Amino acid sequence: MALVVVVQLAFVARGYRSDHAELGWQMFPEASTWRADIVRVTADGRHLPVDRGWDGYRWSALVTGRGLGRPDVRHHADAGLDSQLAFLGAALDWVADHTPRDDETLYLQATVTAWHNDDAPTVEVMRSAEREEAR
Amino acid sequence: MTAAPPPGAGTGAAEVPGAVEDPGGVEVPADVEHPGGGALAAGLAPRPGSEPGRAAGPERGPVERLDGLLGRPVSMRALALLRVLVGPLAALHLWSVAGEAHRAASGAATFTEPYASWYPVLSPQAQAAVLTAGALAALALAVGWHSRPAAVATFAAVAYHLGLSTTHVHNNRAFLAVVLAGLAVGPCGRELSVDSWRRRRRGRPPRPTNAPGWPLWLLRFEASALYGASGLSKLVDPDWFGGTVTWLRAVHHRGELAASPLPGWLLDVLVDRDFHTYAAKVVVLTELFVAVGLWWPPVRRAAVWVAVAFHVAIQLSASVEVFSYLAIAALVIWATPSVRDRVLVIDPTAARHRRLAAAVRALDWLARFRVVPGRRGDPLRVHDRDGTTVTGGPALVLVLSRLPLTAWPALPALLAPPVRRSRRSRRPGPAGPMDPVDPVGGTGRSAGDAA
Repeated sequence: MALVVVVQLAFVARGYRSDHAELGWQMFPEASTWRADIVRVTADGRHLPVDRGWDGYRWSALVTGRGLGRPDVRHHADAGLDSQLAFLGAALDWVADHTPRDDETLYLQATVTAWHNDDAPTVEVMRSAEREEAR
Repeated sequence: MTAAPPPGAGTGAAEVPGAVEDPGGVEVPADVEHPGGGALAAGLAPRPGSEPGRAAGPERGPVERLDGLLGRPVSMRALALLRVLVGPLAALHLWSVAGEAHRAASGAATFTEPYASWYPVLSPQAQAAVLTAGALAALALAVGWHSRPAAVATFAAVAYHLGLSTTHVHNNRAFLAVVLAGLAVGPCGRELSVDSWRRRRRGRPPRPTNAPGWPLWLLRFEASALYGASGLSKLVDPDWFGGTVTWLRAVHHRGELAASPLPGWLLDVLVDRDFHTYAAKVVVLTELFVAVGLWWPPVRRAAVWVAVAFHVAIQLSASVEVFSYLAIAALVIWATPSVRDRVLVIDPTAARHRRLAAAVRALDWLARFRVVPGRRGDPLRVHDRDGTTVTGGPALVLVLSRLPLTAWPALPALLAPPVRRSRRSRRPGPAGPMDPVDPVGGTGRSAGDAA
């Protein structure tokens, strides 16, 4: 029992530093919002929006849940901005890894506009890992 | 209303002629009555097993005391009731996520992020099968059929789904897993269960319903950690404590609020920045009050009442899956873990009393009361565990405040002056035989219990 208590308290403390704060019990942490323009950057430097679909893939079909299916629409960051952007970063990598028919995209890039509560918006560019298929 | 002290209060059953002993800590059917005119005595008879009291002994160190606390047998009735309430919620959750897995099985793969590369990620079809099996196990858990394996299987299914992806984890789902873990490690199937019914049918003796209390204390810790951590995170966040977060949430949902049946003046209040300066502090302090108050016997009932109101408000204002129901259900763990330690004495010739007795038998899910027939013409009477006797209307309020379904509306009535005045206490002493056993929450005297 003592172990469970210590571990639980450690999770609560960890919640202040980790992106997703699992078992940290931080409910409704922010009223922050975000949106992102996501493009595929090809080896020859073109920026192609993912909402057009490519090689039979569609972003909204590949990435569902946690508000990630329509990144172009401004969303509430349910579990806070850090969590939301961590999900977005992981989604970029996952799509880069799970679109084998695409042999022209070097990486995916998201230009994220984030509003932390009522702070002024910030813009951040996130990129997936580079893909072997386009090298 | 007068409070009539029962003759022989604080004495043991052996000293009271006609005393009727309860079966003693083992499964007591809700409709057990104690015929034979020993109503008062029956109410005061200490029952073996359910109230071991605090043994006086040599001075012990903190570790030994903690060990004794964790191992002290207490009633697992609350755990059994929690099992019944949580089973359907877990089934709903698992059915929902099994549906998602089914849909994934028929389409292309979608984004997930497993916590570990070694985590066994089954095919979507297999995931759907596992989660559906988990939903069935949750139903078995609810009815108490092979309760322990069902609890383990339900917990395993919920936890497996959470481990599949960071995107699956929400606080409400994590709390569901925690509660199921508590049920899986505790003897939650010895009452209110098909297991106990089958045992009776086979003529086998019932299994003891008292067990070492640590699973209950563990769940209490987790529940209060939930409220405490949530409140603390808001307290230290200037945007939260200052009202910015709740105000912005209201502003973002202004359109939905306007489309709701709320009156215009209320809408104006809800999007008013100044209102949230105060409202946010109320929210934060509410969470912290619940976290602390649940441990503190004098305010425990108030904390339970506030927690229910808080979760209803959350349910009305946010999408939190099964969390509101789960959190309210989990409040049963704060009931003092001893059973049948209050006696409801009715006049068996009075129709109103008989109706109340029937209602108590049906709704006394935490087994708070023994219902016994009194003398013809006597008023309704409750002998509380602390030796207090309450009659008439206050007795009715006391009864309703201790039944899970009626507690919330009835609890405020306990503050009414006639009810307060009616509780004339007869205290048998600092460690008397009527003291409920709640090693964590104190003796629970006068206001120490939640139900």
